[in-house]
Amino acid sequence: MRKINCLLVTLLSSVLVRAGDKIDFNVSSIPASLQTNADVVLRIDETRFEITAVGRAREYHHYALTILNERGDKHARLVLDYDKLHEIESISGTLYDATGKKIKSLKKQDISDYSGTGDESLISDDRVKVHSFYYKVYPYTIEYETEVKYYYTMFFPGWVPLEDEHYAVQNSKITVVCPTDYKFRYKVFNYSKEPVVQTDKGTTSYTWEVSNLPAMENEFGAPSRYEITPTVCLGPDQFEVEGYSGNMKTWQDFGKFVYALKAGKDQLPEPIRQKVHQLTDGVSEPREKIRLLYEFMQQNTHYISVQLGIGGWQPFDAKYVAEKKYGDCKALSNYMYSLLKEAGVKSYYTLIKAGQNGHYMVDDFPSSQFNHVILCVPQPKDTVWLECTSQTIPAGYLSGFTSDRWALLVDEDGGKLVRTPKYYRRDNLQSRRIEASLDPEGNLSAMIRTQYRAEQMDELESMINQLSKDKVMNILKSELDLPTYDINKFDYREEKSAMPSIYETLDLVAPNYAQVSGKRIFINPNIMSRSRRRLHPDENRKYDIIGYYEYQDVDTTEIKIPAGYQLEAVTPKTSFESPFGLYTSTIKVEGDKILYLRQMDRYSGRWPASSYSEMVKFYEQLYKADNSRIVLVKKE
Amino acid sequence: MTPGKSYPFLVLCCALLHLSALAQDKQQEKLPVKFGKVTPEDFNVTVKGPDSAAGAVIIADYGNSSFDGNQRGWFSLAFKHSRRIKILRRSGFDAATVTIPLYTAGTETEKIESLHASTYTLEDGKVVETKLDDKSIFTDKISKHWINKKFTFPGLKEGAIVEFTYTQTSPFLFQLQPWEFQGEIPCLWSEYQVDMPNFFQYATIAQGYLPFYISKTETRRGHFFMTDPGGAGKDERFSFEDEVVTHRWVMKDVPAMKEEAFTTTLNNYIAKIEFQLSRYNFPGGYQQDQMGNWLKWTAALLKDDDFGADLAKSNSWMDDSLKVVLKGAATPLEKAKKIYAYVRDNFLCTSHDNLYTSTSLKTTFKNRNGNEADLNLLLTAMLLHEKINADPVILSTRSHGFTSPMYPLLSRYNYVISRMTIDSSVYLLDASEPWVGFGKLPTRCYNGLSRLISMDNPSPLYLDADAMKEQKTTIVFLTKEEKGPGLLGHLQSTPGFNEASGIRVKVKEKGQQEFSKGIQTAYSGEIGFSNLELDSLKQPDMPLALAYDLTIKPDPSNGVFYFNPMLSEGYKENPFKAAERVYPVEMPGVIDETYILNMDIPEGYEVDEIPKSTKVAYNDDEGYFEYIVVKNADNIQFRSRLQLKKANFKPEDYNTLREFFGFIVKKESEQIVFKKKKA
Repeated sequence: MRKINCLLVTLLSSVLVRAGDKIDFNVSSIPASLQTNADVVLRIDETRFEITAVGRAREYHHYALTILNERGDKHARLVLDYDKLHEIESISGTLYDATGKKIKSLKKQDISDYSGTGDESLISDDRVKVHSFYYKVYPYTIEYETEVKYYYTMFFPGWVPLEDEHYAVQNSKITVVCPTDYKFRYKVFNYSKEPVVQTDKGTTSYTWEVSNLPAMENEFGAPSRYEITPTVCLGPDQFEVEGYSGNMKTWQDFGKFVYALKAGKDQLPEPIRQKVHQLTDGVSEPREKIRLLYEFMQQNTHYISVQLGIGGWQPFDAKYVAEKKYGDCKALSNYMYSLLKEAGVKSYYTLIKAGQNGHYMVDDFPSSQFNHVILCVPQPKDTVWLECTSQTIPAGYLSGFTSDRWALLVDEDGGKLVRTPKYYRRDNLQSRRIEASLDPEGNLSAMIRTQYRAEQMDELESMINQLSKDKVMNILKSELDLPTYDINKFDYREEKSAMPSIYETLDLVAPNYAQVSGKRIFINPNIMSRSRRRLHPDENRKYDIIGYYEYQDVDTTEIKIPAGYQLEAVTPKTSFESPFGLYTSTIKVEGDKILYLRQMDRYSGRWPASSYSEMVKFYEQLYKADNSRIVLVKKE
Repeated sequence: MTPGKSYPFLVLCCALLHLSALAQDKQQEKLPVKFGKVTPEDFNVTVKGPDSAAGAVIIADYGNSSFDGNQRGWFSLAFKHSRRIKILRRSGFDAATVTIPLYTAGTETEKIESLHASTYTLEDGKVVETKLDDKSIFTDKISKHWINKKFTFPGLKEGAIVEFTYTQTSPFLFQLQPWEFQGEIPCLWSEYQVDMPNFFQYATIAQGYLPFYISKTETRRGHFFMTDPGGAGKDERFSFEDEVVTHRWVMKDVPAMKEEAFTTTLNNYIAKIEFQLSRYNFPGGYQQDQMGNWLKWTAALLKDDDFGADLAKSNSWMDDSLKVVLKGAATPLEKAKKIYAYVRDNFLCTSHDNLYTSTSLKTTFKNRNGNEADLNLLLTAMLLHEKINADPVILSTRSHGFTSPMYPLLSRYNYVISRMTIDSSVYLLDASEPWVGFGKLPTRCYNGLSRLISMDNPSPLYLDADAMKEQKTTIVFLTKEEKGPGLLGHLQSTPGFNEASGIRVKVKEKGQQEFSKGIQTAYSGEIGFSNLELDSLKQPDMPLALAYDLTIKPDPSNGVFYFNPMLSEGYKENPFKAAERVYPVEMPGVIDETYILNMDIPEGYEVDEIPKSTKVAYNDDEGYFEYIVVKNADNIQFRSRLQLKKANFKPEDYNTLREFFGFIVKKESEQIVFKKKKA
């Protein structure tokens, strides 16, 4: 469902050009404060979005960007996407040297045109035009002017002038022009003024403008850009897409539109209807019905994405999926919805913003901020969520792809925004037991049994289900964090439930795992759970720290050591707690065995910038504890 | 090959035919499936051996290329392709999505005719067929010259058989379809048949590690019909007869290709057969060489507007600019260095994969950008302008695959550099990367056989990774601080060319501060890092030098202080992780690393234990690793040296290489143990 993009994202990818106005692009006229820490400076930037009718719009974009050094080159390219619903009317561009003297203009034949169908889709009508002046005498300035015509009005451009780090803004503005009686909405962040409103002959314009924003730097775990820099989100009330009209003034209204696109697409072919009844008629427990039908759907479909025209938003009907046995998130969710409906189970077609960035959504600004569809099946006790594009994950499990975020439930009454469940620290468990044996040369052989639960198993789940066994073996043989090793055997067992686990068994050997120097052996008892993260101290941390993911790792390790050795140096217990997590490890020797226990709890939360140094310290302590070795010395 | 002497080998003397000793009955063996007819027994397919876990298997892959007379008085190619795949598991579903790339040039275009595709499943012992409908065949316009036809099989499930058949017609006789016997999934039977009329002759080029099961040649008479559109007049029809040679190649039980680290490109090793149009040989006596030879190609390239035509011109448009650039340069070498630096530092390279220029040298000069052929030919022209002896060199980059040692195949080349001679010293120059120094080439260029494009000396030129010395020296001094057990130190390192290039690129992209943070991360606890200095960072002609300060503070609460003399240097992990190897190991250069450390023994401590000194040879005289620790009264001298004599290793040598590096990792992790002196 790629076409459902966030407003903010839309802005970043839309850029344009016509040149000619006499503007001074001399680099010397950039205030020094804007050159500090900047790779590029946005000199001028004007977006003018004109709504000409409920379903028609035009976007003019004119901007000039001074590239100060090589690191700024990535911004010097013009990348403009288009498809059947929005077309590029014109592109012009000019290149200037440091003094603002024109070097050359863009020539039409220098614009490349590519297919925008990525690897994830079989086909789409996305295309992209790309241009660059390929210049490298710094600083230089590029100016582009573009004009795009929209045959739909579902998306308005967004405005986030500070679009990247090391990116300063001298001036940027956005204007929305519409018939005076046309209704649209906006929401601003970090912008204190009201827009400048001008009415002229039945049209009204609204303008937001900023000047002289110095460059910023990305920070680890920082909030989304709209929370920390000037931003305007824009969205329509009434809109149209290929003959479908809708309203997104409220989530309920927007839901009605989404529902209308899929209305009547739930007709199943007769054999599938029979199959539904054959599977579920004798089953009284609704959860069991859901599971049986979900597994039927999983076994009989797979994910293939075809996005053409309105198909970017509208699902293929259930009959299509039944025949072809494939579909995208919309089609598969609608198919599952239809199967459940046939069995008398009510479900909701649910829009969601999947992936890591999906935690951020402007929930009080109804607009098309989604990129994925799942299914929600409310039950008296607990709601069942179904991810219909996976043929392997258990019924009711969301995974980190869609957990803990806003989702729009859709039915004939419209849309309703709800939160998907969060997986907590003790849900996201990694519990590991290692029985290992060390020989006098330092070679280790180990039997490692690990339970990965909930989001701790997400990556593994797709690996073991999507790749053939030999590919899994290849990955295991090359990607463990050990200096030299080989896997003798591996095994995976899945426990499929709404709180699923994967049980892994690895039988491995690690030659020279421990370092033998003369009479001593150096060994890290933490064989498989070492933290590698180290943060860089930053005394000028500006923004809050956000961590969405919380988890718990528990390790129990027994290492049989060669005869005749005793402990020389060891810290028997390491323990520390901070707002970010809790850590405890203990080491002792029992007979001919080292017994190492480790528990690490990582908390989720939002912390003030002032606590950053504490976070750095937390990771430093963790790094040190996880990477320290114990020393065994041969008894004299 | 001596230029101008002999014609290239023709099809019939192709190296593949030595397999004629194969038993005659095997040679007669037919394609084991009948496309379009799937029976319940056909589902009994399993894969044994190393690929037994494969997600899908090609039961049979069959291609046939032939020549037909067309409506334009000439010939077209017809490539008929059928493939039957069994989808064994979900992990093999990707094999059910098919992309057919088609080439277009002007009004001439490759076309797909009669595409049929069906999915077959076994339901209650009966075969059920689900057909692909025409609406589900999509066209994706990739670029000016390429479109993709794409489809995915409907009604797919585990255990299904999918099968497609299509015919692709092509007016491009120089692109006789190649055939890959090997791919991402295993294949039980892969067969390619080419019917070549005697009047078109092609060189056949086979590569890979796998033997043919069948390789057979038969001759028959063929009839050809064509229509010549007579312009204003009447169309003329022709028919004639000539000998047609049918080649049939089969491979059986072909394993899947496996990705491995340290390979230039898998394309060099895949089992594959390709063709190169070599000659027209018409019955009426019309004969024409189509392949050429290096002498001809060299001359043609030098006359080509998209290659060397501008080199022979006076190029007076550069007179004034060069005067400025060359100000103060007296000798030819000084001039050459200035010209090189000028092109490298003022022109942006837009791509690194071109045998031909994108525009005239003058336009490149004006635009300040171009592909690597534009820039390096401009560089060559500028050198020539100053009467410095320079010629272009064409090569194939590592990721592009090897060039052909047998045939003069220009299509195998994708890169241009410049070769300059001053006072009998030879310099190879590439001005397309800002971090490459004078007389150096990026790693990608070291890919074996290249060609010097010079009428005086049209000769091969070998650019071997073995000649690419990756020499690194690191020296560390650690001396006692004035009071206490701490040590103050300084590390100085001159990395090899590849590593230095990597640092230059990284600092360019992320800034020096980020790079410094990266080094800092390698130190913790008792060892502190500060004052990183990078010398000659922006002067790629000079070796890069890196230096920083260290502070070492033994933890006073411990009676023992463990110290790894390698600090953050050396091998922490074995670069050869995989336990097995099928293809040669191709490293980007020849390793030669020296690490020296001199340290005082910390105040109040004595040495309890030091690692043993050792020296091991790699394959007798092909390299060695040396680790030497000497303890004196109050200091320690340490030296570690790793030297290999070559960059490329055979698969048979892999285990030795892996063990050798395993030993290095082990040795370089050893510790010096200091103990607090008893008071």
